Amino acid sequence: MTAPRRPLTTGNRISVGLVAALLGFLVVGQLNAQQAVPGLSNLSATDLTQLIANLTTGNDQLRNEIADLTSQEASLSDTHNRGDTTVGDLNSDLARIRAWAGLTAVTGPGIAITVQGQIGGDGIEELLNELRNAGAEAIAIDGIRVVTGSVVAGPPGGLSIENDALGDGFEIRAIGSPQILTGTLTRTGGVIAQIGATYPGARLTVTPLESMTLAATERNLDLTDAQPSL
Amino acid sequence: MSALVGRVRALPSVQVTLSIALLVLGFLVAAQIAAEGPRVSYSTQERSPLIETALGLQTQQEALKASILDLRKQIGDLEAQDPGAAESLKKLYSQLEDARLAAGLVAVSGKGIAFKLEDATQASGPDALVSAQDVRTLVEQLWLAGAEGISVNGERIVGSTAVIDIGGSILVNSAYLAPPYTISAIGPPDLYDRLQQSVAFIQFVQGRVEPSGLKLSVAQLDKVELPAFAGTVALRYAQPAPSGATP
Repeated sequence: MTAPRRPLTTGNRISVGLVAALLGFLVVGQLNAQQAVPGLSNLSATDLTQLIANLTTGNDQLRNEIADLTSQEASLSDTHNRGDTTVGDLNSDLARIRAWAGLTAVTGPGIAITVQGQIGGDGIEELLNELRNAGAEAIAIDGIRVVTGSVVAGPPGGLSIENDALGDGFEIRAIGSPQILTGTLTRTGGVIAQIGATYPGARLTVTPLESMTLAATERNLDLTDAQPSL
Repeated sequence: MSALVGRVRALPSVQVTLSIALLVLGFLVAAQIAAEGPRVSYSTQERSPLIETALGLQTQQEALKASILDLRKQIGDLEAQDPGAAESLKKLYSQLEDARLAAGLVAVSGKGIAFKLEDATQASGPDALVSAQDVRTLVEQLWLAGAEGISVNGERIVGSTAVIDIGGSILVNSAYLAPPYTISAIGPPDLYDRLQQSVAFIQFVQGRVEPSGLKLSVAQLDKVELPAFAGTVALRYAQPAPSGATP
């Protein structure tokens, strides 16, 4: 025997409506809180300042790239409108991309780093990563161009790159701003100091150079497993 | 027990509904307050503007990268529709396409694997967080195992890519990425087998991932999609060397 169910009064309906509205509001608030940019809230003021500096520099580079591409696109459009061939534009674009990818030799100012003593592949990779972060545009190790997929691996005394063994002493050359590259590597607490702490037997010396030429890679960069996405 | 059920049934339905709703309400209020806690702690006068600035710059970066990809597509389309279409020009265009593909400027797909690398949940301290070094190690091991293309959380790894620490997160191609990190790679069918035979990879798993409680999972996939690199390919200091120039 159950009690007969009474119809809802207007007051009850308002109460249920208010609670439902409040529930909906809180659910949305909760979902938004969970979708907030992950990680940013965990950064300290120093980390945030560093992030802002990196983003600002990166965005400036992207704006320059957009300016270059806009100019390239305008030049191509003009060529088309004149009814001319685009051989010149294509050659120029091809030279630029091949140089950037390491498929052709490049020349410019930069630094030479002589590496002597015991150091592992992870130490050299740390150094290469810092060079890239400091804006190195082309890198070579003992004349072997470092490109996408190149890795320096092995234990101290057994390093190799592109299946070529590196001797006890070798030289890393990087094209970029000599001042920025030198300053970044050699600053107090910088990557060379960190490598020195991990590998006390390693000796790294940085020398700015006014000009150098880095050879093209001999690595085959053609893709066989990956196909362009349609 | 039956008496209790009977008493509940005797209650007007509106009271039952309101009770359940209020119970859920209480739970949500508690959850909301708990979620607000950390945000209140960082929303100091010092950090809040910095977070706003960083968020604004991230939004700008995404828009700039989208513009670059769009412009590159427009340029590719213009280059492909040359009215001359002579054989030499077709060859030149083909070389350009190959160079873009090799440089990572084209989105690609193929068979491969995807790793998910996450911070430790059962431990604390710096070792419990995935570092840039961890991500770089995994990327390096994938290259050595024969990967043809790699991305980290949608950022294509190319020759100029730097992966650096920033707080408990990382920057890749100047893009701010937070954990978990998905490292996707396209390579030969036996890419994962090759990786498992790598002493350095085994050392990474046994010497770093497992002792620190980091979580590493892997999936072998029939189709992995890698985006195109959307950064700059401009050279300011390096110039194509004149033919005949020697290192």
